[in-house]
Amino acid sequence: MYGFEAMTFNIHGGYLEAIVRGHRSGLLTAADYNNLCQCETLDDIKMHLSATEYGPYLQNEPSPLHTTTIVEKCTLKLVDEYKHMLCQATEPLSTFLEYITYGHMIDNVVLIVTGTLHERDVQELLEKCHPLGMFDSIATLAVAQNMRELYRLVLVDTPLAPYFSERITSEDLDDMNIEIMRNTLYKAYLEDFYQFCQKLGGATSEIMSDLLAFEADRRAVNITINSIGTELTRDDRKKLYSNFGLLYPYGHEELAVCEDIDQVRAVMEKYPPYQSIFAKMSYGESQMLDKAFYEEEVKRLCLAFEQQFHYGVFFAYMRLREQEIRNLMWISECVAQNQKSRVHDSVVFIF
Amino acid sequence: MEDQDKARTSENQLEEENVVTFLDSMDAYLTLIDSLSSTLRQGWLELASARHSMGASRISSSLFDLKLHSAATSLRVTEDDGKYVMNQPHFTLCKWASSDDGKCCSGEAKFDGDELQKKSVSPQLRYRGTSQFDEPQEIQEKSPTSNGSPLSLDSPVQKQRHKSLSVFGTLVSPKLRAAQFSFETALETIVEIANIRSSMLSAFDQVQKDIESISTGEQ
Repeated sequence: MYGFEAMTFNIHGGYLEAIVRGHRSGLLTAADYNNLCQCETLDDIKMHLSATEYGPYLQNEPSPLHTTTIVEKCTLKLVDEYKHMLCQATEPLSTFLEYITYGHMIDNVVLIVTGTLHERDVQELLEKCHPLGMFDSIATLAVAQNMRELYRLVLVDTPLAPYFSERITSEDLDDMNIEIMRNTLYKAYLEDFYQFCQKLGGATSEIMSDLLAFEADRRAVNITINSIGTELTRDDRKKLYSNFGLLYPYGHEELAVCEDIDQVRAVMEKYPPYQSIFAKMSYGESQMLDKAFYEEEVKRLCLAFEQQFHYGVFFAYMRLREQEIRNLMWISECVAQNQKSRVHDSVVFIF
Repeated sequence: MEDQDKARTSENQLEEENVVTFLDSMDAYLTLIDSLSSTLRQGWLELASARHSMGASRISSSLFDLKLHSAATSLRVTEDDGKYVMNQPHFTLCKWASSDDGKCCSGEAKFDGDELQKKSVSPQLRYRGTSQFDEPQEIQEKSPTSNGSPLSLDSPVQKQRHKSLSVFGTLVSPKLRAAQFSFETALETIVEIANIRSSMLSAFDQVQKDIESISTGEQ
């Protein structure tokens, strides 16, 4: 039973909930995607997007366009909207909105550290970072020689500090340890976000628990599939799974010992919400799994808007925009590579 | 008189064989060009699919390793005694050489131009327009990652493959591995094209000589 959010939510959150619902109505529709899928060139895509909310961000871009340019400009729109909401938010909504960006922060940290390990220029790496995950001392990451310095010099003053444990900081910086660091940080972040939403209670807790549990389960499946045939041991694999979600703990036990995609399917088909996802794929095939997961996620995110007076709408909107940007990226790549027959392989319609 | 007729007949036969050899090598060359085009298209799309799945920040040219390291794959050029031309260049790909001893892990992908010509001697239709639809499926079937089952290749090859992908992280999507396999296949095809082109050019030179000798004889 929820608390009486309807009585008090609008005092601090009413304006921003109205703003985010307004932004939601600006998401591209199936008709927009049909027009975009028929474009012959990237300039055609730019022309079609000029009639949408992305128009002002793309109008000054010179031809010839590149797919990364389209993605960058669309991401800028999302960043502007996010910053507007963040500066208007009060506690605890402001902390909730900051939590949404920690995933990008982790990705940026790993990008800088990996690029530095490969002797790349820091400025070049900073240009590739996601704008939502930037923080003040990010450039200093390039100075660190090992995990302990990474933590001591830079990350101790960032929101990621609590996610570092002694187990991570004692390791050297190599490709495997960086990957383990990425996944361990993300695991700790998800669990922390989950606990924070549980403390908020009410509709936010109910809706965010479902969304974050799905995220944790999807991560577990992706980690399992991506680690098949690698040096990652079963124990290390199991340590990367989050300690919540539908698959926790018995599904994780079974996933940890999977050696191929068919065994993963056998584990997941025991859970009714994931039966429909794996039913879309043929045996031995994993190419359409990402799209199936994205479709399920979009379904759940859209349902979050069916209820009022909770913070889940902000999370749902950010994720739906990111999905939209992924769609635009895929359409642009198919058009640029003259592979329009494959455009529907990865486009997920939101409405 | 009979001897002269026999000699002329055998010369004509040889000339015809040379022309057929040239045409066969040209057919094989064009088939390989088609195959390369569809393999590369498949590879680029799989790479885009991997970026879509893993995120643009995880698959980016800014992650390439600029440190000095030995090449994973090398090309050896030797001079072969060809059928028609002395010192015809022959290209051999040495894939996934171990960084420790420089030896190839997967053995040399040596192309025998005669084998391909033998295959192309038997009459078969060559589809040029639809190859991009046929061959990607064929390539997907061959891809080791699409079915999730363990590879049947040697483990050093598997290790070298993972090592070359580790610039993008240790836990990468199967789509990225599929893209790697496609580009690996494309590289083998390019070497085959180089060898068949060498054979084709030498066959063409021989046909040119035959034409010149005929026109000289007529004069």
